Amino acid sequence: MTLSPQRPAMHPHEHDDWEAIARRELPDQDVTEAVSQLQSWNLHVFMRPAAPAGSPREGNPILPSDIIFLAPPAAAGK
Amino acid sequence: MLDLIIKNGRVIDGTGMPGYAGDVGISGGRIVKLGHIDEPALEVIDATGKVVAPGFIDPHTHFDAQLLWDGYAKPAIEHGVTTVVPGNCSLSLAPLKAEHRMKLVGMFNQIEEMPYKAFEEGVEWNWETFEGFIARISQGLSINVAPLVGHSLLRLWVMGEASMERIATAAEQRAMADLLRECLDAGAIGLSTSFVDSDEKLQPVPSRYADPQELDTLCAVLSEFGRILQIVPEFYDADLTIARVDQLAELSLKHGITTTFSPLFLNRDNVAAVQRTMARVEEQFARGARVWPQVQTRPIDISFCFEVPSLLFIRLRSWYKIMRFGSHDDIVAAFSDPVQRAALTKAAAPMLGLWKNLTLRQVSTAANQPLVGKTLQEIATGRGCEVLDAMIDLSLEEDLQAHFLAANMGHNDDAAVGALLAHPNVHIGASDGGAHILSFSTFGDTGYLFSRFVRETGALTLEQAVKKITLDTATIWGIKERGVLQKGYVADITVFDPALIDRGAEYYVQDVPGDGSRYVRDAIGVDTVVIGGAVAYQQGSGYRQAGRGQVLPGSTEASAG
Repeated sequence: MTLSPQRPAMHPHEHDDWEAIARRELPDQDVTEAVSQLQSWNLHVFMRPAAPAGSPREGNPILPSDIIFLAPPAAAGK
Repeated sequence: MLDLIIKNGRVIDGTGMPGYAGDVGISGGRIVKLGHIDEPALEVIDATGKVVAPGFIDPHTHFDAQLLWDGYAKPAIEHGVTTVVPGNCSLSLAPLKAEHRMKLVGMFNQIEEMPYKAFEEGVEWNWETFEGFIARISQGLSINVAPLVGHSLLRLWVMGEASMERIATAAEQRAMADLLRECLDAGAIGLSTSFVDSDEKLQPVPSRYADPQELDTLCAVLSEFGRILQIVPEFYDADLTIARVDQLAELSLKHGITTTFSPLFLNRDNVAAVQRTMARVEEQFARGARVWPQVQTRPIDISFCFEVPSLLFIRLRSWYKIMRFGSHDDIVAAFSDPVQRAALTKAAAPMLGLWKNLTLRQVSTAANQPLVGKTLQEIATGRGCEVLDAMIDLSLEEDLQAHFLAANMGHNDDAAVGALLAHPNVHIGASDGGAHILSFSTFGDTGYLFSRFVRETGALTLEQAVKKITLDTATIWGIKERGVLQKGYVADITVFDPALIDRGAEYYVQDVPGDGSRYVRDAIGVDTVVIGGAVAYQQGSGYRQAGRGQVLPGSTEASAG
């Protein structure tokens, strides 16, 4: 049974950060631009409170359990 | 001789079939006769004009701690609830090593707004294993409990501090799987996890550091036992919720398990989003997956005072930081200092639409008593000041103990909520029983179901509503021999007046260990509650028969979803 299409998304791989996801999932785009797009599509991650200084997550808000969207919401028309 | 007969009632047995005039005969804790019973009994209850239904089951609670000092989980029984499911949202109180106890208390304080003092004064920590916790709560247990084990607890036990830093190694996953087996063997009804919650330091709870492989490993264990998975999705966003529905569906299909997610809120401004979510739920059910959204009956009301950090302020980081991490004197100082006050006022100004409609619900000083019941806009107009100044001034005048009510903030489109509650793929629950005690009462959802959505709006028939909170819940959760009035089944029974059953007004009561208080509601129209064949509560005479509650492990092997 085929499900109706939903917003493209993925789970992070181990050690993924924005750049790693951008290079892998949006390879045809300039990486800086792709990172910026990913962040704008994933505000639930981008706006997350920062990890404490010295923690393994410092500087990278992405969690292993996250849903990372690879496209904007349907209302954006893409 | 029978132990108990409930006579002359309208038996609504939980199946959804039309109610019928009849008697219920109980012996040895079980229903032994249904229909017209003409024989003696040790006790006879006259249910003329009343409904005789299976006891209500509340699938989403956080009574884990309260059960340690209150085996009735008061006032849940008064509202007709005979079984509760604690341990939701990745948080349970076992398995828990001694060195991690305060970490858990911090999480319960942050996420479920349960006061530290209640744990300090009300909890004697004398267990570490799940089996030990079950033994502990079984002492004097007077309501049935079907406990979940929290994913965050499993990670904390196996990985310690690393549970809040990284994914688990293969060996750690195997250890968690073995630990989950122990918990299920000891009586856990399933596993709970969370994708949204944060701890007392506003950092993600341990379950959020798990990768999908870890959850898959744990679901394989659930499958061995036929037990359920409960999750908290990113409920504030439909795309994220749908992604979690899909994730749950794959786990359900792969492992043959039932899954449920909570909450699903329906506000006037997100009806389309909920429709999208439900469309996805229906698609997944059509594939054979079991992904049950839990929907609460009550609208969202939140009360607060400045002394207690309310989740209402979590979007206002400057305010939340002071309330969450500041002492009483720190909070007073911040709002008394002109510079800080100006900054805080500016930060809150965009939410003026919320503040002006808050109602002042409780004060201590005689001078401010005449203002109780007025909105902040009315008070500000009367005082000739701005709305935020009125709120801050009142709080300072009342030594931070001015209580404000933000009523009807969400889940407030009754027509849409009623239709959602009646949907065949919706599970009524999400009460959060026992949590958020300083923000709102989690008691009375069942009464509100009948008063608002049966009597007033007709969204459900009486039989449908009873079925939703009895047999449906028992089936979804794999709770055996309960949830229906049937010969041989355990006699958990609620007798209520269908014309009156309701939730009472919300009020503040000081009955939490550590001189703590909480919001509660009295029940209206619930006459008698029977647990395990013995009367546990009767309106008018109060509580009886302590100690008839049981811990209920379940199996979803026979569940058809």
